[in-house]
Amino acid sequence: MEILTLLLIPIITATACVFIRKHSISKYVSIAGSFIAFVYNIFLNYDVYTNHTLSGLNSFFYLDALSILSTQIVTLVGFAAALYSAGYMEAELHEGAFREKRLRWYYFLFHMFIFTMLLVCVSNNLGIMWVAIEATTLATTFLVGFYNKKPHQEAAWKYIIICTVGITLALFGVILTYHSAKGVIGEIGYALNWSELITVADKFEPHLIRLAFLFILIGYGTKAGLAPMHTWLPDAHSQAPSPISALFSGVLLNCSLYGIIRFHILTSKCIGPDYSGTLLMIFGLISVLVSIPFILIQKDYKRLLAFSSIEHIGIIALGFGFGGMYGVYGAGLHAFNHAVVKSLLFFCSGNLFLKYKTREIEKIKGAIKTIPITAVISIIAIFAITGTPPFNIFVSEFMVLAGGFSSGSVLSIIFSSLLVIGIVLIFIGFIYNMFKMIFGTPASVIPVGEVSKFTIAAMLFLLFFVLVVSIYVPPVLNEILHNIYDIVRNA
Amino acid sequence: MTEQVIVSSRTIDILAVLMLMTTIVLVGTSRLRTSIWAYAIRSFLLTWVSGLIAYFSGIHHIFIATGISLALKVILIPGFLFYIVNKTKVKTDVESVINYTLSLLISCGLILIAYYSTQSIIKFENDFMGHCLPVSLAITLLGFFVMITRKKAITQILGLLAMEDGLFFAALSTSYGMPLIVELGVFFDILVSVIIMGIYVYRIKETFDSIDTDSLRELKE
Repeated sequence: MEILTLLLIPIITATACVFIRKHSISKYVSIAGSFIAFVYNIFLNYDVYTNHTLSGLNSFFYLDALSILSTQIVTLVGFAAALYSAGYMEAELHEGAFREKRLRWYYFLFHMFIFTMLLVCVSNNLGIMWVAIEATTLATTFLVGFYNKKPHQEAAWKYIIICTVGITLALFGVILTYHSAKGVIGEIGYALNWSELITVADKFEPHLIRLAFLFILIGYGTKAGLAPMHTWLPDAHSQAPSPISALFSGVLLNCSLYGIIRFHILTSKCIGPDYSGTLLMIFGLISVLVSIPFILIQKDYKRLLAFSSIEHIGIIALGFGFGGMYGVYGAGLHAFNHAVVKSLLFFCSGNLFLKYKTREIEKIKGAIKTIPITAVISIIAIFAITGTPPFNIFVSEFMVLAGGFSSGSVLSIIFSSLLVIGIVLIFIGFIYNMFKMIFGTPASVIPVGEVSKFTIAAMLFLLFFVLVVSIYVPPVLNEILHNIYDIVRNA
Repeated sequence: MTEQVIVSSRTIDILAVLMLMTTIVLVGTSRLRTSIWAYAIRSFLLTWVSGLIAYFSGIHHIFIATGISLALKVILIPGFLFYIVNKTKVKTDVESVINYTLSLLISCGLILIAYYSTQSIIKFENDFMGHCLPVSLAITLLGFFVMITRKKAITQILGLLAMEDGLFFAALSTSYGMPLIVELGVFFDILVSVIIMGIYVYRIKETFDSIDTDSLRELKE
C-alpha cells in the first residue's frame, strides 16, 4: 500500500497538470507533487532501511536496497528537475519557443516519466519491469521532440525506433527466464517475481540463462546507453529540453542499468559471476573508450555532456562487472554521484543556452561575467564530473578502480588500467572544452544577469548533495550500499 | 500424447511455417500495402496458434490474450497503418539499402542461424512445441533485418512488429505465453508505441516532405 502511494503521487500530479492552463499555477503544482514524492520516498526508504525488504500489493511490488537507491535517485533528481523546469520552461515560453497550452502536456509527460521510472524500480515481476522500461520510452518520445523542429523530430524518431528495438530484444531474455523458471517453480503467476526467482535461480538451465542475459544486456543496454548501442543517446539528450536531458542522463540510464543488474544477480546465482560480470566489463569498457574521441573534439556542449554520460554508465557497468566489495559499493555510489553531478551540469548547460541561444561551444565566451552564479557552479560540477579530488566522483571512481585492481583477475587489471587512461583523456577534453565557454570576454550584446531564480534554486539543491557526498558518505547511503553488496554477494 | 494433441501440434507446425513465409514476403516485397497485409495475415496465424493452445491446454488466460491479440494485432494496428499510408499519400514503393535478391539470400542465412543457435536449447525441450522456437527466432531476426535495411519509416514499424510477433510466438511455444498481467502490459506498450510512431511518420512527412529516413541526417558529429 505504501509503495502504491508513491506511484500514485506522480500520476495525480500529472493529471492535475493537464487541467491547469496557466503556467503560473501549474509550475507550483508540479514542484509540489515532485517534492511530496521526494519526502514520501525518504520515509519509505526508512521502512526498507529497518526491514531490509518491503513488499506490497500481494507481492506485486518489492523493494530492497537496490530499488531504494534507484527510487532515491529518481525522486531527488525528479524534484530538482521540476524546480528547474519552472524557471527554464517559463523563459522558453517568453522567447516564444512554443505556445502556453503545450506546457500542460510537457508537465503531464514529465510526471508520467517519473511514474514509469518509479515503476521500473518497485515492480517485483520482471515482465512488468520490462513493460515499465518500454513505457519510459513512450512517455518521453514527445518530450524529446517537444520543440517539433526538424532536428527534434529526427532525434525523437531515432530514439523511439532504436530504443524500442532494443527493448524488444530484451523481451526475449525475459521470455527465456520465464521459461526456465517455469521448469523449476511451475506456478504460473509468480514465476516472474524476482523475490521468487532469486531463491531458485541456482536450479535454472544454464544454457537458457546465458542466452537470456545476453539478450537482456543488449536490450536494456540500448536504453542504458552502453556502447555500441548508444547511437540514439547524444541526439536525444541534446535535442530534449534541458530538464528532460538531466532526467535522461542522471536517472533514466540508471533505471535501465538497474534492470540489467537484476538479471546479472540472477545469472550469477545460476552459473557464477564470471560470465555476466565479464560481459558487463566488456560493454562498460567499450562505452568509456567510445566516448573519448567524441569528448575531445566536441563542438556542441550538450552532446559533450551526453557522451560523458555514456562514459559514466560504462564506469558503473565496469564496477558491477569487477564485483567484490569495492567494485559493487563503488558502482552504486557512482550511480548516485553521477546522477546528481550530471543533472547539475545539464542545468548549467540549460542556463547557458537560455543566455546565449546556441549550443556551440565556439560561440560562447565569458559565462563567468554574464551569468556568474551558473558559471561558478559549473566550475565545481566540471571538476566533480571529471573525477578531480576532493569531489564525490573521485571517491566512487577510485573505489571502482580499487575493485578492479584488487579483484585478482588479469582481465580486470588490464581493464582498470585502460579505464585510468580513459579517465585522464576525458579529463583533458572536458576541461579544455568547457572552460573555453566560462572564461574570456563575452560579446557586448549579451546582457548580464541570471535568467531565473528557480533554475538557481534547483542547482543549489543538487550542489548540496554533491558537496555532502564529497565530504563523507552519509550513514543512510552507506548502509544502502552495503546492503546492495550483500544482495549481489549472496547471489 | 493423445491423438488430438498430435494433430494440433502438426497444425501448429504448418502455421509456424506460414508465419515464416509471411515474414519472407515482408523482406521480399517492394510494396507497402503488401507488407501491411503480410503483417495482418501473420498476426492472424499467430492468433490461431494462440487459440489452439488455449483450447488444448484449457488455460483461461490464453483465451483472453487470444481475444486481445485478434482485436489489436489483426484489426486495429493494420487498420491504423493503412490509415497512415493513405493520410501521408506516400508512394507505395519501398526502397531498400540492399537489393531484394540479396535480401532474400541474407534472410535464408538468418533462418539458418536461428535454427543453429537454438539447437542447444531444444535438446532439453520435451514440449511438443519445441521446434517452434527456431521459427520464432527466425521471424525476430528477419524483422530486425528489415528494420536495418529499409528506408521508409512505415516499413521500419513493420519490421518492429515482425520482431514482436516472433517474440510472442516464442513465448507461446516455450511457455504458453507470459502471465496475463505482463501480456496485457506488453499489448498496451505495442499499441501505444505504434500510435506514437504513426504520429511521427505523419509529422516527419509534414516537415521533411518525405518519410524516407535518409532525409533524417542533420544530427551527427
